[in-house]
Amino acid sequence: MIDERIFRQFQEIGRDLYVADLVSSHGGNMSVRLGDRLVIKRRGAMLGRLKEGDLVETGLEKPDSGIALASTELVVHRAIYVATPALAVVHAHPRTAIALSLSREEIVPIDNEGSYLLHRVPVVTAEFASGSAELVEKLPRVLQEYKIVMLRGHGCFSIGQTLEEAFQWVSCLEESCQIILAAKAINEPLVEYRKMSEEYRTW
Amino acid sequence: MSGRAVRWVQATAFRQSERSESGFWQAMQHAHMRGWMGKVLDVDLSAGTIESQALDAEVARLFLGGRGLGTRLLWDLVGPEVEPLSPDNALIFCTGPLTGTAFQTSNRFTVSTKSPLTGTVLDANSGGFWGMRFKRTGYDALIVRGRTDSPRYLEVTPSAAALKDASHLWSKTVPETTAALGQSSRRSVLCIGPPGENLVRFAAIMNDGTRSLGRGGAGAVMGAKNLKAVVVEGEEKPEFADRARFRFVRYEVSKQLTANPLTSQAFPRFGTAVVMNIVNALGALPTRNFQQAQFEEAEEISGEALTDRLLVKNTACWACPIACTRVTKTARKDGEGPEYESLWALGAACGIADLEAVAEASYLCNELGLDTISTGSTIACAMEMAERGTIDSDLRFGRADLLRETIQAIAYRRGLGDELAEGSRRFAQGHGAPEYSMSVKGMEMPAYDPRGMQGQGLLYATSNRGACHMRGNMLGPEVLGLPKLIDRFQVQGKAGMVILHQNAAAAIDSLVLCKFTNMAVAEEYYARALTAVTGIPHSSGDLIRAGERIWNLERLYNLREGFSRADDTLPRRLLEEPVPEGPSKGWVSHLAEMLDEYYRFRGWDENGVPTGRKLEELGLHDLTR
Repeated sequence: MIDERIFRQFQEIGRDLYVADLVSSHGGNMSVRLGDRLVIKRRGAMLGRLKEGDLVETGLEKPDSGIALASTELVVHRAIYVATPALAVVHAHPRTAIALSLSREEIVPIDNEGSYLLHRVPVVTAEFASGSAELVEKLPRVLQEYKIVMLRGHGCFSIGQTLEEAFQWVSCLEESCQIILAAKAINEPLVEYRKMSEEYRTW
Repeated sequence: MSGRAVRWVQATAFRQSERSESGFWQAMQHAHMRGWMGKVLDVDLSAGTIESQALDAEVARLFLGGRGLGTRLLWDLVGPEVEPLSPDNALIFCTGPLTGTAFQTSNRFTVSTKSPLTGTVLDANSGGFWGMRFKRTGYDALIVRGRTDSPRYLEVTPSAAALKDASHLWSKTVPETTAALGQSSRRSVLCIGPPGENLVRFAAIMNDGTRSLGRGGAGAVMGAKNLKAVVVEGEEKPEFADRARFRFVRYEVSKQLTANPLTSQAFPRFGTAVVMNIVNALGALPTRNFQQAQFEEAEEISGEALTDRLLVKNTACWACPIACTRVTKTARKDGEGPEYESLWALGAACGIADLEAVAEASYLCNELGLDTISTGSTIACAMEMAERGTIDSDLRFGRADLLRETIQAIAYRRGLGDELAEGSRRFAQGHGAPEYSMSVKGMEMPAYDPRGMQGQGLLYATSNRGACHMRGNMLGPEVLGLPKLIDRFQVQGKAGMVILHQNAAAAIDSLVLCKFTNMAVAEEYYARALTAVTGIPHSSGDLIRAGERIWNLERLYNLREGFSRADDTLPRRLLEEPVPEGPSKGWVSHLAEMLDEYYRFRGWDENGVPTGRKLEELGLHDLTR
């Protein structure tokens, strides 16, 4: 039985992700860890309109019938929980970040908030970018060191103690990417305002 | 070496007198250890020997330092057959790989021992200057075993380590001893006062005059050894693998601490007592021995009142930008503090709102060397028992006039104080009323009512040294919204949050840093600092895993001592008596539901025993074979 408080958190963050254009109508997913179990969005459910029955509880390591209903990305969520201290995982499709991921090996914010909170976001390439063994192998390793990672051309995975925290990294990343894009469009030399900014690439 | 085999130590032990001839050996150590000094000072008081041992690099990597290293050493040195106050118990003082590096709050150190209050594994940690100065003597840790026939103190300087006569210091207070042994800007004194000598089970060890290794009675262990003090003086600094990288991480941390209002404004301005009014407003401030969860006069003992009426200035431990320490003055006395926990324990817990009386009681605890939380909570327990007629005493809630004499009576074991000096659990049990001891595993609970903070209740119940708010405080997520606010009454899913905070706290206690930084700074920053200092790559996941390893080793220690699931509980009052009024009205702790989830999340069986798979995963399986 999923606690009503937990369902409400899914509803609120799911709605925020959709309203902020960070996912399409049926895209993205999220989960929280409860001991040796996890709660994840049902496959096909709309993050912006989560209803009772749209959340699925299943074993963290031991499969049960819950896997028949869970999001395609379940295997990735599981692997992240096993390998990191995460208690919540958000997977979203931030558009500007996806666009930048197509040409970059990393995204290094140039705005103050992004520099302060994220420093550097690695970009990972996978041939099959949804629920694949390749993702299971690559993503958790990166998330041991970083709280958010971009999957080239697909979207991001972020981790936190709560859904809200994981959502914050997604929201912050997309804002930083929009600023990078805007600065490129303005096309004027940047004035560096950050001390030791050259170190961000090594974060 | 006497006692149990010390498997982790390399076989290159040499006597302290040979130290000057060991330049080659020292160079060998330093060649592969950065951050750590690579040595442990081993003092056997019974034999009168002082030896230097090499610190095993792999043990340092796995257990970091501080609490982790102390627990690992204690596992080998102090088995279940050892009584806490016997000569066979060990006192293990440890610094960590970040101690003395000038990373924010890298002044701290720990002491590990078997607690005379709880019988569990114990570590207590403290700030000030002693930890940094001890590391600069060239050692990561100091093991003290055995017992001297007459009072001694240990002096460690760059040229030698020696045991000296302390007969003239016995029975002296902490300020007297600290001054007599020459505390200065280059020299730090750590000592016990009369309660330690008199084996009060919650006697503290004090350092730098006013800082405290407070909880669990390490002071009594030191008293039982006839060791009055440890004085340190040193200039040797740890090496860095990448100093430029370290500077960058430190700079980024300074931004985090500045941007967080708690660490940059609230703590400096009001001290830790800034949370008094906040916790009280939520109905989570234990009052009159946890009979209520709101104190109607909390404002009188709040951080604001302390600042307005008693504050002279704030000061800081070495390398700390937060500066939460209060220098205060009443009409009669001056001193440091009180901290939030002390204001609560000697104030709200006892139904006392006289700020000056509470501050003076706190000064007195510091001068004598007593844990203020256990002192206040034990007195509160006696107050309730006296009001209910269980004991014959004048103690009553609100009797500020009796605080001073009761504390003195505990310190010198006079009259009722002799019974109270055993701690609230033994005291209440002795009078057939164990339900009035607000403790877990014998350790008195701190200043948060678990009925109004469900996660905090689970934290207290599962804390390895007994009820403790420094083993992963849920104040951050359940009250202050750090890193994010979670529902304080939520039960499902709370175990994961508690475990994460417990593991993080174990890692931070092993680095050794002040956990106040963790209110603003995430683990990834510590991991990057550790990498820069040691040259050994650490991710935040690695750091949390090290914390988990340490937590599990502490659990194994307690299981070896005979503790079980039955000990992971709370006082009956908190499980059965709903909060009578206020915002937490009607709530009890839902511990049982959270505990099952907690064990599963930990990878323990239903009895709270780590599974073989979990031990294998953490590299602890060899210890239990």
